[in-house]
Amino acid sequence: MSTPSTPSSATTTTASAASTAGSPARIAEDTTQGKTTIAASVVQKIAGIAAREISGVHSMGGGVSRAFGAIRERIPGGGTGASNIAGVQVEVGEKQAAVDLDLVVEYGASIVDLARAVRRNVITAVERMTGLEVIEVNIAVNDIHLPEEDDDVTPTPAAVPAPSRVE
Amino acid sequence: MSPLSDDDLARTLAETVTADPAVARLDGGVFGAVATYLPGGRLVGVRVDPDPTAPVEVAVVLHLGAPIPTVVAGLRARIARVLGDRPVDLTVSDVVAGPVDVQVEI
Repeated sequence: MSTPSTPSSATTTTASAASTAGSPARIAEDTTQGKTTIAASVVQKIAGIAAREISGVHSMGGGVSRAFGAIRERIPGGGTGASNIAGVQVEVGEKQAAVDLDLVVEYGASIVDLARAVRRNVITAVERMTGLEVIEVNIAVNDIHLPEEDDDVTPTPAAVPAPSRVE
Repeated sequence: MSPLSDDDLARTLAETVTADPAVARLDGGVFGAVATYLPGGRLVGVRVDPDPTAPVEVAVVLHLGAPIPTVVAGLRARIARVLGDRPVDLTVSDVVAGPVDVQVEI
């Protein structure tokens, strides 16, 4: 909020670079009543859901993370919401969070307007739901979805489980 | 401090926490370490330290819907009715798409 988010990908935040997904975030509530921690995957899931809410976002993730999402969905306990977190990386500190998103947009959407709407929705959702301050949301649009691709693209690898090859 | 044994305290806490409609289930925390070993099974999601001054650990998975700090405050109030002023370390390990109120929100 206070610092304008820079579009450069090489951003430095106050949190150490090692604290990525999996590290817990801590809400500043270290009173005598005990402390409250919110796992990074919570922030990740909320950001993913908020980004998908914007119409014009076709799917999320680059080729690699979409492939990982498909793999993760087949692992028992790999997370039922694995499709929610594809294309979302978060870095969480004690009071702040930074979010990186990989988007595939629909052809015809204004990418600048779309990115602005996604950023606003993600910031609102994460700040309201977790109480963490979102310092930046970096958006990478890495593909565009054309309507005529629908017949072969609609079953996205992350969304539809492949039919079993063995009986 | 508490008249209940640690095992009974863990069971009571588990019931108290899951009674909250915003709680989807209890969870083992990051390494599954938040658990109590009871005769007959492992109670995942609540850990009562034998030291009565040490914090009790609780880990939950919440339904999405209400802001998490609000839900946590409500949970702490419920827990405090059981524990009194013993400190509680509360972990929100995950969230799941909520029941009804999320659809309304979208």
